[in-house]
Amino acid sequence: MTVLQALDRLYGRLADAEKVPPFGYASEKISFCIILAPDGRPVAVRDLRDQTGKRPRPAAVEVPQQASRRTSGVQANFLWDKTSYALGLTADKPGKKRDPASEHRAFVELHETLLRGAEDAGLLALLGFLRTWRPERFEAPPFSGRGNPEDILDANVVFELDGAPGEFVHDRPAARDIWARYRAEAAGAEGMCLVTGEVGPIAELHPAIKGVPGGQMAGTALVSFNLDAFNSFGKKQGANAPVSEQAAFRYTTALNHLLASDWRHGNRIMVGGDTTVVFWAEAPDAARAAAAESLFATLLDPPTDEQEAAPVRETLKSLARGRPLSEISPGVDDATRFFILGLAPNAARLSVRFWLESDLGVLARNAARHHEDLVLEPSPFRAPPSARRLLVETAAQGKRENIPPLLEGALMRAILTGGRYPQTLFSAVIMRLRADRDVNGRRAAILKACLNRNTNREASMSLDRNEANPGYRLGRLFAVMESIQQAALGKTINATIRDRFYGAASATPASVFPVLLRTAGHHLSSIRKGEKGGLARWFEREMGEIVDGLPNAFPRNLRIEDQGRFAIGYYHQRFEKRADAPAEAKDSPNPETVEA
Amino acid sequence: MTYGVRLHVWGENGCFTRPEMKVERVSYDVMTPAAARGILEAIHWKPAIRWAVDRITVLKPVRFETIRRNEVGAKASVRNAAAAMKAGSTAGLRLGVEDERQQRAATVLRDVAYLIDAHFDLTPRAGAEDAPGKHLDMFNRRAAKGQCFQQPCMGAREFPAHFEPVPDPPPAPADELAGERDLGWMHHDFDFGREIEPRFFRAVMRDGVIEVPPLDSAELRT
Repeated sequence: MTVLQALDRLYGRLADAEKVPPFGYASEKISFCIILAPDGRPVAVRDLRDQTGKRPRPAAVEVPQQASRRTSGVQANFLWDKTSYALGLTADKPGKKRDPASEHRAFVELHETLLRGAEDAGLLALLGFLRTWRPERFEAPPFSGRGNPEDILDANVVFELDGAPGEFVHDRPAARDIWARYRAEAAGAEGMCLVTGEVGPIAELHPAIKGVPGGQMAGTALVSFNLDAFNSFGKKQGANAPVSEQAAFRYTTALNHLLASDWRHGNRIMVGGDTTVVFWAEAPDAARAAAAESLFATLLDPPTDEQEAAPVRETLKSLARGRPLSEISPGVDDATRFFILGLAPNAARLSVRFWLESDLGVLARNAARHHEDLVLEPSPFRAPPSARRLLVETAAQGKRENIPPLLEGALMRAILTGGRYPQTLFSAVIMRLRADRDVNGRRAAILKACLNRNTNREASMSLDRNEANPGYRLGRLFAVMESIQQAALGKTINATIRDRFYGAASATPASVFPVLLRTAGHHLSSIRKGEKGGLARWFEREMGEIVDGLPNAFPRNLRIEDQGRFAIGYYHQRFEKRADAPAEAKDSPNPETVEA
Repeated sequence: MTYGVRLHVWGENGCFTRPEMKVERVSYDVMTPAAARGILEAIHWKPAIRWAVDRITVLKPVRFETIRRNEVGAKASVRNAAAAMKAGSTAGLRLGVEDERQQRAATVLRDVAYLIDAHFDLTPRAGAEDAPGKHLDMFNRRAAKGQCFQQPCMGAREFPAHFEPVPDPPPAPADELAGERDLGWMHHDFDFGREIEPRFFRAVMRDGVIEVPPLDSAELRT
């Protein structure tokens, strides 16, 4: 199924459950309701905002949909709008490019045209209001009598007839009739819809998609032809890829519904810097779909709290053992159809980073395999890590906006399909290691996962004393030499050998290891001169064991895979729980707390 | 009279762009009939014949990857070109790539391989010397020798297509493609007779095989 088709089907199910507005309507953020007397006099203003939070939040109200995306042009909405249109008032200072008077004029004209001949009391009240309203009236009650009359400026308002509480003017049957008729008349040329295959009026511009972080505030478009170069055969806008108005409305509404959900408990996840993932299940009933979606969300973005993460670990273990989902989470079925869409904004447009349609069982098992691949001893993670946490390890200064673009989608695709990890993930981590020399467990875990899945040779979970790979051995040797340096000079050295030599040691061992060995010899002898003869002997034994397994000469350079093994060997050796080591060498740091 | 041919094509990448997502490109899951026709025409075409794709067999699992490319957001103006021709001077006639550059994402197919089953019909422009057997032989000979008029591609010029006559026994679709998959409404080809109108068909893949309806089929929509 294509993206649009699947979203169109989702709309059908959401509409059955009355979770999305019907065709021609959209949920918008409305702050106030102006109550009108039958003759159009404003008698009261009702605050619709949710006052429970720190700041009042506008209510979501179903209103007639905007004809198209409002950009720089003046275009009024039907029966609702912001105050510059509805009242001709704005909080902007005069001289700004927007002129509230002309916007209000457009609002009045639209309603004079559409409401001509209306007999409904609510519509007549609105007409009366528009005919008698002067912006100066804002100084008088009911506006001035309220707590803070300025609040209302630039917010969206709707109207209500006094004496008909709870029924907004735009919800009155007469208003709905007029709106439906108007939309039918305004419909464009007919054609075949690429989503449904049916013939109907073709949408020229598709409704905006809101709530993708990083996109333009006014909303973004998944289907758009906003420059000449995108048009084919002289066709304009939507005619380039005919989608009926119905289908355009349905898929955008469904997508907006998914995007409006809370990122922690809803149908969306932020992967890294710019990719937003939305997902949904197709199940026999809403409860089962919700159960499937919440299971998927916890697998991909597990809670960071250690206690909350414990059940996720259990789930992953059971999945890895091949237990059916129904055993793990009640109401969830392996065969549940699951859809995942990864979106990234590019100014006014959205691009599809990935699109997957699969069975929940397959996805869950792939996610479990991903977590299995990451396992490293001692564990650098308190809880199974989300993709976001892994990706931050590839970003300069650990900033989300520095995550290499395209890596997010590629990593998610690898996690969900069980395919190879992107090679760029591996090389990005190596690059960060050499740049900031922060050889932490999270990075070692990523490298290990990539090696496990992408090469034929497995990287081991914990310190492997028999591993003969020169990269791995050299990493271990490097870690021992760093410990020796610390034991000799104390823990307050300005720059350790890791700070100075990590990059060169991991890439071109032959150029630095001889020097490092000589220095290590000096350090060992100074340890011996102190009181810690046992410690020195232990270090020597450890070094001897590692060097024995190395080829006669240090390799001139290491391939990138072996540089990865170098980091893993370093991590294993550095954070090994040394059972046989003397007390002084046992204080290996806790891998979770080591930071750059 | 119609004559059937069969060709094995493969490539490292493919991008058979969906029209609704042709700006930030997203590929169809499989090769479109128009793209298959393009490959055949690259190997052998004359005004006397018209290729019609009958069947596309998908050999490799459908895998996507995302790339970013620098593209251009503007078209050279026809009016300026006409004015330049009239004036006999190219002054002011340019499209600066540096000024119009845009970075756009593309979700493309990775590692693709198909079998194309097609036939050709003779067109009204066929003369007495255009025996169908001649064109059939020419195609097969050229395909076997790897000859082509221009490098055939997998939907976009930057993804070249390799081709050969179908080996015996023919390669089979990957196990993953077993079962039936609805691919939605897919571009069939353009109707060049009627102001270049696109035609669409409901593509269904059964065990890796997509049957392509004929040009004049009632299944096609424009």
